[in-house]
Amino acid sequence: MNAQQAVNIVMIEDDEGHARLIEKNIRRAGISNPIHHFVDGTSAMKFLYDAPEGPVHSGPALILLDLNLPDMSGTDILAKIKGEGSPLKRAPVVVLTTTDDKLEIQRCYDLGCNVYITKPVNYENFATAIRQLGLFLSVIQVPDIDEG
Amino acid sequence: MHIGFDAQRNHLAGGAVTVTSPAMIAKTHNPERQAERSFARTVMLLVVLGFGLVMFAGLAALGVMLRGEEQSRWLDHTYQVEREVSTIRLALEEMRSARRGFALRLRFDSASSYGDAARKLHTGIDRVSALTRDNPAQQRRIEELRRLANSLDSVFRASMNPGAQRSAQAEAERQQLAQKVENLATRMVDRERALLVERAQARDDSITLFYIVLFATGVLLALVAVGSIWVIRRYTGELVGSREELRSLNENLEDAVAIRTTDLQRANDEIQRFAYIVSHDLRSPLVNVMGFTAELEAAIGPLQGFVQEVARDKPELVTEDIRLAVEEDLPESVGFIRTSTHKMDRLINAILRLSREGRRTIVPEALDLDRLANGVIDNLRHRIDELGVTADIVPGMPRIVADRLALEQILSNLVENAVKYLKPGRPGEVSISATTAPGRVLISVADNGRGVDRRDHDRIFDLFRRSGEQDQPGEGIGLAHVRALAYRLGGTISVESELDKGSTFIVNLPAIYAGEKAALS
Repeated sequence: MNAQQAVNIVMIEDDEGHARLIEKNIRRAGISNPIHHFVDGTSAMKFLYDAPEGPVHSGPALILLDLNLPDMSGTDILAKIKGEGSPLKRAPVVVLTTTDDKLEIQRCYDLGCNVYITKPVNYENFATAIRQLGLFLSVIQVPDIDEG
Repeated sequence: MHIGFDAQRNHLAGGAVTVTSPAMIAKTHNPERQAERSFARTVMLLVVLGFGLVMFAGLAALGVMLRGEEQSRWLDHTYQVEREVSTIRLALEEMRSARRGFALRLRFDSASSYGDAARKLHTGIDRVSALTRDNPAQQRRIEELRRLANSLDSVFRASMNPGAQRSAQAEAERQQLAQKVENLATRMVDRERALLVERAQARDDSITLFYIVLFATGVLLALVAVGSIWVIRRYTGELVGSREELRSLNENLEDAVAIRTTDLQRANDEIQRFAYIVSHDLRSPLVNVMGFTAELEAAIGPLQGFVQEVARDKPELVTEDIRLAVEEDLPESVGFIRTSTHKMDRLINAILRLSREGRRTIVPEALDLDRLANGVIDNLRHRIDELGVTADIVPGMPRIVADRLALEQILSNLVENAVKYLKPGRPGEVSISATTAPGRVLISVADNGRGVDRRDHDRIFDLFRRSGEQDQPGEGIGLAHVRALAYRLGGTISVESELDKGSTFIVNLPAIYAGEKAALS
């Protein structure tokens, strides 16, 4: 990943179990970047935009986003991140969710999501998918957050 | 979604009750309708009778008029006869005066003027005789007159001979004869005059009758016209009224149907969404259960290694409990969790699939059932041949307008079932055929397999329900899916089957798919 600055991984996932499994498998893929986990949209948005150690104020980030959140819809968060004038517009967003509804997938890509991954129910597939996501994360380039 | 469709049917039953409004019940009430019908018949009869009377009156007037004309002709005839008789009298007078003139030698041409007069007399008699052929009394008189006139003529002519007797007696006889002729002629004229009066009277009567008949006809015509107009007005009024009523009922009906359809649509959407959310949200914890079970399973390996190592090095530390827990209980529990979660996963996927199918848009198109069925068989060819099943399609199946994918899935599921549930020891046979009923197409998939117990004929179409020995893999989804598809196509499905004898599944579909709304109502 980015050599100068460690890329923060921001994981927005309401299910603790899923979050744990995702983290485990990312680590197993050899990714050691810090992972910030949030279980609801509000605290995640606060971290993304306002926290001093958050991506807006300190360095590049990659966002793992679940669409089913208790307080707001994942697509709303996606729309805000990718919206016109958002400082996080260029931050890669990986939507990682259980929904495999065609319309939902289309909508997410329309809103500007970079990757859409459906969580496989079968755990072996799930683990493999996350590990491959980890490999993918290890090679993609993440742009710096331009503060200007 | 079979739940959704059941709910729709319940709604529909309610809808039917609301739609049948009290006004409609009154409309179809029998005695009233019967009375109306008999009234209409009476009115129709009266109108026909009225027109018949008018026609009859017209004919009567015509008859009376013709009779009047006839009578006028007779009157004319009588005038003519009278005139002719007068001519006879005149001729007689001329004859007498000519003879007198000859006797007194007043004129030299008296003889020739007598001849003229006599000729006139005879011509007159001939004419009257011709004219009065219809009247035997007058005929008799005219013959008498002819006889008298002839004898008078001969007597007169004899008296004018130079050597004629000139006695007073002869003169008196001549005068007497002349008088007789004169009298007869007068009688005839009188008779004709009397006839004239009679006939004039008759003609006047018939003219009066004609006017009366004409007047009666006019009155009748006016009455029938008024009656007809009244009836027409009444009927038109009723027609307009009932049309108005019908229109308002129709509009209400449309509104009711529209509201009902919207309700149903909403209820159905709700259930679809519910099924989707439930199945979807159930997956989320399932991912955890399966994930951590896998983690647990992965953890058992090192644990077992450790226990074995300890057992080798320090056997006193490993009790029987620990050994059992690590070597049997843990793997067994994890195994059960795994199987159960896998099953749950399949069930959730089935619900998800059904709910997704329910949301798919139906695209109706004209389909050749022969080709479609062949395609279905070809897709299953591998399995059919593997099991040695004979698949047969009765050709000449009707065309149908429906959704290709849905129909393929229906047939494919049914054939798959037929191939799956064979009667052991009997080579399988599957046959697809179709017949038509008015507006419908009935597709049958028959097999000679193990059959379905009568008790289970309804149950097998429910989700997750299966019948008979559970020796084949499956979740009990296929037929539920088939029924949901049949419902979506506006059709139904039923089964005829006996245990060990085979089954026939009959899909009853509309020949032309009429759209989602029509399928609901």
